[in-house]
Amino acid sequence: MRPILECQSLTKKYGSDYALFGVDLALGRGQIVGLLGPNGSGKTTLIKLINGLLTPTEGRILVDGQAPGVETKKIVSYLPDRDYLSRHMRVKDVLAYYMDFYKDFSAENSSRMLDALEIDRKARLSSLSKGTKEKLQLVLVMSRNADLYVLDEPIGGVDPAARDYILQTILTNYNENATILISTHLIADIENVLDRVVFLSAGQVTLNASVDEIRTDYGKSVDTLFREVFKC
Amino acid sequence: MLGKLIKYDLKYGAKIFILVHAILLAACIFGRFFFLDHLDFGRTDSIVVSSLAIFVSVMLFLYIVVCFCTWLIIAARFYRSLFTGEGYLSWTFPVSGVLHLWAKILSGCIWFFLDCFICAAGIILLVTGSNVRDAYFAIAPEVTEYFGMPPGTFASVFFIYMLVSCICSVISTYFCIAAGQLFPSHRILGALIAYFVYSFISQLLAFAVLAAMRLFPAGAYTDMASGIDAARYTLSIMGVTLIIMVAVSVFQYIVTHIIMKKKVNLL
Repeated sequence: MRPILECQSLTKKYGSDYALFGVDLALGRGQIVGLLGPNGSGKTTLIKLINGLLTPTEGRILVDGQAPGVETKKIVSYLPDRDYLSRHMRVKDVLAYYMDFYKDFSAENSSRMLDALEIDRKARLSSLSKGTKEKLQLVLVMSRNADLYVLDEPIGGVDPAARDYILQTILTNYNENATILISTHLIADIENVLDRVVFLSAGQVTLNASVDEIRTDYGKSVDTLFREVFKC
Repeated sequence: MLGKLIKYDLKYGAKIFILVHAILLAACIFGRFFFLDHLDFGRTDSIVVSSLAIFVSVMLFLYIVVCFCTWLIIAARFYRSLFTGEGYLSWTFPVSGVLHLWAKILSGCIWFFLDCFICAAGIILLVTGSNVRDAYFAIAPEVTEYFGMPPGTFASVFFIYMLVSCICSVISTYFCIAAGQLFPSHRILGALIAYFVYSFISQLLAFAVLAAMRLFPAGAYTDMASGIDAARYTLSIMGVTLIIMVAVSVFQYIVTHIIMKKKVNLL
């Protein structure tokens, strides 16, 4: 089976600076992958490239064997690391918005999650707290029946209790043939749910291994290894 | 998908659009029934002239504000939905960049066309009182002779010119915003600079073409002995500027398309 995500000598330059340089990476299906690296390592650039928000300077990026475009956007569910919904919309309008544009959006799943979180569908987004807004955004993304979920800092702005809920939501709401790529700094919080980790440093992949391999080969947790590798 | 994109574009700002145009129409109704209908154009004293001048100025200001608000809705929607945080959602819809651009052009044109029709309806409402019509009919032959065509014909030509320039204006607005986002830290300033640069270049182009065609300065039409000449001159100027405007818009469309395809970088 072809990989869900493939990068071949992927390079992205901003002016004269390299954000990514010669990245070769292939991710299989049915796993949760942690995309880890310090600030400025190129995580967000890679995520933007996967979603077609940027075009590569050199090399290729393929999602399910295709360059990012209309077809790949149908199978990628993306959670950006910022607010991306209009503050003036109501929760029910946002649901309708998603349903209109994504055929794989499940109203049933979203309703179940919204009910569990007690989010009022008539509430305007401007009236929601930061944490609730982040949860809503995650609900929207995880309500899609996608092949690849790309979550950029999904737990960055919420309290530890909410983190547990979010991780639980991620684990219980994805198709087992789908792949989840999670970029985060909070490694200790997500380590237990990860199958594989990719370390990015200065725009290059420095490690691509399963969590079990790391524990066996290095005798350390991912969090400890990360702290050692990226020690300032 | 195109229909859905347009639907959401039109939903955005619909309330503001309806509100400002309702105010305009209310002002037109108020002006017609409480001011214009009570004017006696047979009187030649300065009170009639000065009160009419003030009324026209106020209405003109209101029209400018309403048109500006419409333009602002179009520009804000384009910028916010594609180049701010909301762009992270818009650009990840299973829709191509060119479809996004066409949706924005069509929705922008719909807003502007609606604006034009409502503004025209407001004007018709203002000038269809019996006293205004009688005053107009009294001077209609002179006006027709002076302009070389009946004012109604001129208004119709001007209205069509306005509709075409609406399309060009929408594309120009998008071009400036798209060009502005090439400067990530100063996007709005970049858009303003793009606007001034493009305006300057298109003015120069218009000047050169009109001069080459001896339409500027008045050239072959300096005498303008008859109204027919004046009409021909006016229509020539409008025709040439319209062609230049369309040519510039085609260029701007191509550049905007390229920027949206290859140079978008959301912050």
